[in-house]
Amino acid sequence: MNKKLTIESFEKLPSTQAKAKELAGKGAVPWTVILAEEQTLGRGRKEKGWHSPKGGLYFSIILPKSQLVDLQTLTILAAFIIAKTIKENFNLEPIFIKLPNDVYFNEKKAAGVMTENVVEGKEVRCSIMGIGLNTNIDKFPPDLEKTATSLRIELGREVDNKKILVQIIKGLKEQLKTISE
Amino acid sequence: MKIKIREKVYDVKISELGDGRIKIMVDGKEFIFGEKVEEKILVAQVSLPKKDFSKKEIKAPIAGRISEIFVEEGEFVKKDQKLLLLSSMKMENEIIADFEGKVKEILIKKDQEAVAGQTLITLI
Repeated sequence: MNKKLTIESFEKLPSTQAKAKELAGKGAVPWTVILAEEQTLGRGRKEKGWHSPKGGLYFSIILPKSQLVDLQTLTILAAFIIAKTIKENFNLEPIFIKLPNDVYFNEKKAAGVMTENVVEGKEVRCSIMGIGLNTNIDKFPPDLEKTATSLRIELGREVDNKKILVQIIKGLKEQLKTISE
Repeated sequence: MKIKIREKVYDVKISELGDGRIKIMVDGKEFIFGEKVEEKILVAQVSLPKKDFSKKEIKAPIAGRISEIFVEEGEFVKKDQKLLLLSSMKMENEIIADFEGKVKEILIKKDQEAVAGQTLITLI
């Protein structure tokens, strides 16, 4: 793995996106990853919440300064990278991607991606991608149990969050390198 | 001599100072023109604060929907202030002011679609 990857781990955060924005503003280097075991105000797209109890994988990545179109492509590809990582590690079927950026296992939502940019003129000043992946979650509250699932529920066993995290980051790095060239 | 400008008559005296400069007296006020004075004028102009009153435009960096507008017409905005939120193809883009100024016009409404390069806000 690239030596430049920095992971800042937190036991509990309101939101990894908000923390990443704060650290990016203080000069955190690209590919810094903000990881939380639990989020109290986890966010999805369009200000929707993301249920983030202990056990899941919740992280935000400070992306390198790139062209907006490249970031757009990377965002679309992020869901494919997550699906590919899960497929290769656990051979889970069926996995499908619902555009814009949700990953479903057995027709239930298991992962989501959102990217937020701060744009000044034509220049991207700061870019943060947030990913929530339901990994080791035993059960969901009644309002979500029919629509959400986790790897723990689908596989019947615990998975290694750190290993999945590193593989997803590696996949994103490779993709960004490809689309930016 | 006397010069009439818009019905008002000015008493003007012109004289040479001998060092290449010219002195012009207008109604008792003294104006000296020449190389040295021009230098002083030049310095004065350079040191004046530059204020750009030309129209400044905030444009959509990519196509997308305006999901939030954070400012109002007539409001003074600072550099780096959050102006709009543009949602596009799985991304939320916070558009910030790259210069300070007063919001002259907001040319788009919330939930409207913008094309890349479209002017969204003008500042003066």
